[in-house]
Amino acid sequence: MVELIDISKTYSLRGIRKVIFSGFNFRFQAGRNIAIMGPNGVGKSTLLRMVAGTEPPDAGRIVRHARVSWPLGFAGGFNGSMTGLENVRFVSRIYGQDTERVIEYVEAFSELGKSMRLPIKTYSSGMKARLAFGLSMAVDFDCYLIDEITAVGDANFRRKSKEALEQKLDHARIIMVSHSMETIKSYCDCGLLLSPGGLSYHDDIESLLSAYKAGCA
Amino acid sequence: MKQLLALQARVLGALVLRETRATFGTSRLGYLWAILTPAAGVALLVWVFGAAGRQPPFGSSLALFFATGLLTLEFFRKLSSSLMSTFDANKALLTYPVIKETDTLAARLILISTTYLLIMVVFYSTLIAFGLADFPHRPGQALAAFLATALIGFGFGTMNAVIISMWDSWRFVEQILTRPLLVISGVFYIPSRLPSEAINVLKWNPVLHLVEWFRVGYYPNYDSFVLDRSFVLGLGLALVLLGLAGERLYRKKRV
Repeated sequence: MVELIDISKTYSLRGIRKVIFSGFNFRFQAGRNIAIMGPNGVGKSTLLRMVAGTEPPDAGRIVRHARVSWPLGFAGGFNGSMTGLENVRFVSRIYGQDTERVIEYVEAFSELGKSMRLPIKTYSSGMKARLAFGLSMAVDFDCYLIDEITAVGDANFRRKSKEALEQKLDHARIIMVSHSMETIKSYCDCGLLLSPGGLSYHDDIESLLSAYKAGCA
Repeated sequence: MKQLLALQARVLGALVLRETRATFGTSRLGYLWAILTPAAGVALLVWVFGAAGRQPPFGSSLALFFATGLLTLEFFRKLSSSLMSTFDANKALLTYPVIKETDTLAARLILISTTYLLIMVVFYSTLIAFGLADFPHRPGQALAAFLATALIGFGFGTMNAVIISMWDSWRFVEQILTRPLLVISGVFYIPSRLPSEAINVLKWNPVLHLVEWFRVGYYPNYDSFVLDRSFVLGLGLALVLLGLAGERLYRKKRV
């Protein structure tokens, strides 16, 4: 699905250098739902952004064989002074989607009603989350990149998001960053464990979770 | 390849629409204001100088003379300042991997150039309608001057955007550097009639050449000793090249 070839990534800020990846090779296999786990600050989200293409690696190549989504989250990418409707239109345009269909889907999913015609900056964080998630589910991808997404919102919204995501899994795959072992277990079948000591790939989910538990303990 | 072009067109189209909305506000009058403000600026200047009894330095219309200078300068300034803030303003957009920072630069170039083309067409048509100006004598040259202004503005703005992303205080230096442009770009006078000592210094200002170029295109008999088209084009291309190379080289540092 996505190949990472000799990836290196270093952050340096105010003289502090932090090596996140160095000469990292990995292939996200097609047909699998892959988890990315690890303690805070080891580069899980960085990895996801590099897979998406929003952040370039310092060195190396990333080859995508499938249509990969942007990293799905609950905010970001919205222009606060534009209305929900305008933001939705913009994203469906850049992805070449049928704008009317996307709007219909997002309106039904987010249940924002008339608020869709108000600027995003007037939204509560819950409303923003509903809009963002609805929008990402409205656009068709082969692979959805999900960054710690399933634990926000009220019960109704969580149920709906879960249903929407499960529906996607019929024909698409996910790469998911999460700390929740329960979430990982219900969506993923293999995974990558990042830790300060190094990286390891686990082909079955139980082995990933026990390694994660062992690492955190 | 065809797919890539379609994607590029889609992204640029969506960005231009979005920028239009963001720049001119949500009111229907927003865009009208954008056209009226520069026009009102020129009108005010004409009125002030007219009231002071000043004769047009060239031709018979004070309004036309000032407009050829001021609108060119305003176009350059607006384009470069808007490009300068592109990276800051569009950070959130980079959530979507299909959008690259160069797309946001191109979208602003398209939007501002189109707006100023419209402003100029409306303004000069009005002058012509009121008998204050004739049609441009060499429309091709006037258009070339307009495009050269877009080139210089794009290059200068992109360069500044890259420098600011590395060193934020540059925006103040840029302000100081561009403040005198109104005085040194030949808006109120004919550069060729200045003493040669002055010309030798002022000829390094590309905006002066742009104003001259536009006047050569508009007036039938405007002779410029200063205008050097290859200087303008060379500098413009160099700025664009440096700006885009800088954007590419420092892209990682900005994230």
